[in-house]
Amino acid sequence: MAANWLPPVLLTASGRPVFLPGEIERCLLSAVDLEAEENPALPTLRSGLLVLTSHRILWIDESSSSGCAIPLAAVVHVFHPKKSLRNMFASPRVRIQVSTSPDGRVGEKGTRSEMVTIVMRGKTDPDVFYGRLLEVLRSRTWEASEESEGRERGSGSGEGSARVRMPVVGVSGILRKEQEMWESTDKSLQEAFHDLNALMSKAKEMVQLAENMRQKLLLGSNAQASANDDELGSKQEIQDWLLSVGIVSLVTKESAGALYHQQLSRQLADFVKLPLEKAGGMIALIDVYCLFNRARGTELISPEDLLQACALWEKFDVPVMLRKFDSGVMVIQNKAHSDDEVFARITSLAQKPDALLMGISPSDAALTLGIAPALAKEHMLTAESKGLRLLDSWVLGFLLRLPLDRHNILSINFSSDDESFLITRRQQLVKVMLLT
Amino acid sequence: MRRRPGISGLQSAAAARDQYRLVGENVAKIRTDLMKEQLATFRSQLEEFARKHKNDIRKNPTFRTQFHEMCAKVGVDPLASNKGFWAELLGIGDFYYELGVQIVEICLATRSHNGGLINLQELCSLLCQRRKTAREAVSEDDCLRAISKLKVLGSGFEVITVGKKKLVRSVPTELNKDHNEILEVAQAQGYVTVEEIEKTHSWPSGRAIDALETLLEEGLAMIDDGHRDGKRRYWFPCVAPISAALGAEGLRSSS
Repeated sequence: MAANWLPPVLLTASGRPVFLPGEIERCLLSAVDLEAEENPALPTLRSGLLVLTSHRILWIDESSSSGCAIPLAAVVHVFHPKKSLRNMFASPRVRIQVSTSPDGRVGEKGTRSEMVTIVMRGKTDPDVFYGRLLEVLRSRTWEASEESEGRERGSGSGEGSARVRMPVVGVSGILRKEQEMWESTDKSLQEAFHDLNALMSKAKEMVQLAENMRQKLLLGSNAQASANDDELGSKQEIQDWLLSVGIVSLVTKESAGALYHQQLSRQLADFVKLPLEKAGGMIALIDVYCLFNRARGTELISPEDLLQACALWEKFDVPVMLRKFDSGVMVIQNKAHSDDEVFARITSLAQKPDALLMGISPSDAALTLGIAPALAKEHMLTAESKGLRLLDSWVLGFLLRLPLDRHNILSINFSSDDESFLITRRQQLVKVMLLT
Repeated sequence: MRRRPGISGLQSAAAARDQYRLVGENVAKIRTDLMKEQLATFRSQLEEFARKHKNDIRKNPTFRTQFHEMCAKVGVDPLASNKGFWAELLGIGDFYYELGVQIVEICLATRSHNGGLINLQELCSLLCQRRKTAREAVSEDDCLRAISKLKVLGSGFEVITVGKKKLVRSVPTELNKDHNEILEVAQAQGYVTVEEIEKTHSWPSGRAIDALETLLEEGLAMIDDGHRDGKRRYWFPCVAPISAALGAEGLRSSS
């Protein structure tokens, strides 16, 4: 007779238990007793078939074709079947702690708990059962099926009268799914990090080796004045290898850099001819970077590649050169395009009658010279250093003036302690301009 | 080798030197062979890594950051050249160089508006708008790396910190301490007045006006004289809150 402290199990006509949706049988044990230890009022179930499934522990009394179940959700703790001297000859026992309701019925979320002993009187290995039980408890399959049930119910009753509890179960199911997805991504990322670490330790070795080779390169180039082919060859190789690993080696006077950069350098010289003409003989390096990469589409070059390629122009006979201004701006310009020519043009611009009165700004110079304003500014700064006198003005940007006569300069009071010095200076400047 | 005086001694010394040189060359040759071997192993290991994790690097910005940090620790620069193994096998070279080109274009397009100084967040959001078709996410860290690579080309590409914000500079204008402080004050409301500057920093009026006028010349500031109280306001588009910038974008795109 099934005790009513455990929920009953439905049996089929042939005595097999009816499984819940998603329930899978895990373990079968025969001749098992279920004893409630603490509460003697609860009857012991003797000599039944124990079925461990993913959702419940079923105990089936075959003689009376009835059974009862302990839902795994109610299992609080499982005790290991310890083998001691005391129970060496006794039947192996596995004790589990289940939660019960106040009136003694076993169920999940009970307020009290009860100890149930599973006595295995048949010829079974308790450890196997124990292992399976733990597995099943860990996987908690019954919760997932609860969620799916809840979600179905929740989606069904969405439009109808809202039972507040339903959506929560559904949402938590979705949240759980998200969590699982994150965990699996996390695992693959963990693997990725693990691989990354291994790769990096290898890279470190490479870097060490590469440094040694580079030292050798430097020493080699210093020691030997005559370079025979062998040496050059290996130097070239070393440069290429350093590049592959990701160490940029500077182009030295002797070395020709990596082969890749040499080829790039020639390619770049050809490419840059047309844009240079359009830009009036001078382009900022950063513009070339954009133009070249856009033209390439794929297999782009890095900024450092560009720099290396330009630096190599010194060695080859190409009509273009890289130039660095004091402010740090780097440009590519035609070798034919000289500074003196530019200054001559600026001076002629400054000598025009309105220029003398108002001065010229970088944008005026840019218009005349046909170059970008930033570059025009650079030219004017260089012009200043070459001796063309520059006086700046608040309103007009840069004011380019020719050398003033002594007596005109003396008419300006340079009192730098004066707070209003700067404002007065402007007024005086206008006066000076009108005088000449 | 017994040292012998005279010509034969010199000859044997020369012969000894030759011998040593040959041995030295051989040793060097062995080392280059060793290097070749090591390189091949490294390359195959990198290929293996790429096969498994190329997608992770492309799709996951946090992983990318980690990757870069580790490379920096080891002393390799995966973005140094497009010819390196890193770029070839992992394909991250093109990603960053393309990003660099796009950043330059955006800075150029907004230069008339903000004078060559742009808020990093604004830059990132404009970048994301441009890259809507590409499915790879771009993080702020990626932008910073691309910009640091652009730095070598001159033209002043740099990230400067003003107060709490990061600004990307795309012109070679130097900003001194006074200018920085003005920009910091401007972060609160997007604009400053001369009185405000003088009050917060207790500068003489000449100094404040001097700095503001320079910023005006460089195109970083704009004047607003239309306010009711008649005080001149200097607006700084680069530090204005993003909503203002996006509003302008919306106007531009709709017109």
